[in-house]
Amino acid sequence: MFFFFDLRKMISINNKLRQAVVGIAGLGGLGSAVAVALARSNIGKLIIADFDTVDAGNLNRQQYFVDQVGKVKVDAMIENLKRINPDVKVKAHQQKLNPDNIGEIFAGANVIAECFDKAEEKQMLVETVLTRMDKPIIVSVSGLAGYGNSNEITTRRISNRLILVGDGKNGIDSGQPLTAARVGIAASHQANAIVEVIVDGIKG
Amino acid sequence: METLKINGVEKQFPSGQLPTTVAELLQLLNINTATVVAEIDGQIIEREKFAETQLSKGQNIELIRFVPGG
Repeated sequence: MFFFFDLRKMISINNKLRQAVVGIAGLGGLGSAVAVALARSNIGKLIIADFDTVDAGNLNRQQYFVDQVGKVKVDAMIENLKRINPDVKVKAHQQKLNPDNIGEIFAGANVIAECFDKAEEKQMLVETVLTRMDKPIIVSVSGLAGYGNSNEITTRRISNRLILVGDGKNGIDSGQPLTAARVGIAASHQANAIVEVIVDGIKG
Repeated sequence: METLKINGVEKQFPSGQLPTTVAELLQLLNINTATVVAEIDGQIIEREKFAETQLSKGQNIELIRFVPGG
C-alpha cells in the first residue's frame, strides 16, 4: 500500500514537471547545472539563452566537455541535454538578453532561473521579469564564490514571485574564485526551488 | 524620530532627516544602484525611478543586493 501511494505521488509530481516550462538565463556554472538537473527531473520544456561559446576555462565548473571547447554554448547544451533526456523539449536563443527581448524570449515560462555572472545583469533580469512580465516566478542567485561554508548558501522566498539563493555576500569581486562544488550547491538550490514551485506552488 | 523598515530591521532617522528618495537612501547606505532591486511595501521600484521615488516614514523597504558570480 505504501508503495502504491508513493507511486501515485511520483506520477503526480512527474505530470506537473512534464507540463512545466522553465527559462534559463545564462548557461555558465549555474545555468548549465540547472539545465542538467531539470532535464534529469524530466521537465517538459527548457528555454535556454546565452550568447557565448564554451571556453577551456569554463570546464572547471560548467557542464560541458573538452571536445566542446569553441562551440556555441546553447548548441553544446542541446547536445548534452539530448544525451541525458531526449524527451525534454529545448528552445535555444543564442543572444544577449536585455529589457526589451526578455519578455519575448521567455514567453510561456512558468519559472525563470537567473544564472548570470555580472551583478548588473542579475539586477536587470530580476527587475525586468518582476515589472514587465505578469506571470513567471524568478529564482535568482547572489553570493556563491569561494569554497567551503556550504551551509551559508540558502534559499529564501523574498516575495510571491521572487526566490533568492546564495550567501548574499561572496562575489567574485571579492577576489574569490568560482569552484565547481560551491557553484554546484547554489545551482542545486536553484533547481530544487524550481522543482518545488512547479509541484507545490510558491509557499508564503 | 522617524523610521523606515529596511530588510526587516527598523532604521531610525532624526525628525526631518529621513532620506527623501530611494536614490538618497541607497547613497546613505553606500549601495551601488546598478546592483540592487528595490521593493517598497511590496511594490518593485524600477532602477530608473530611484531618484524620483519619494520615501515616507513607516515604509517597508526590501533591498535585494546582487554580487557577481554565476
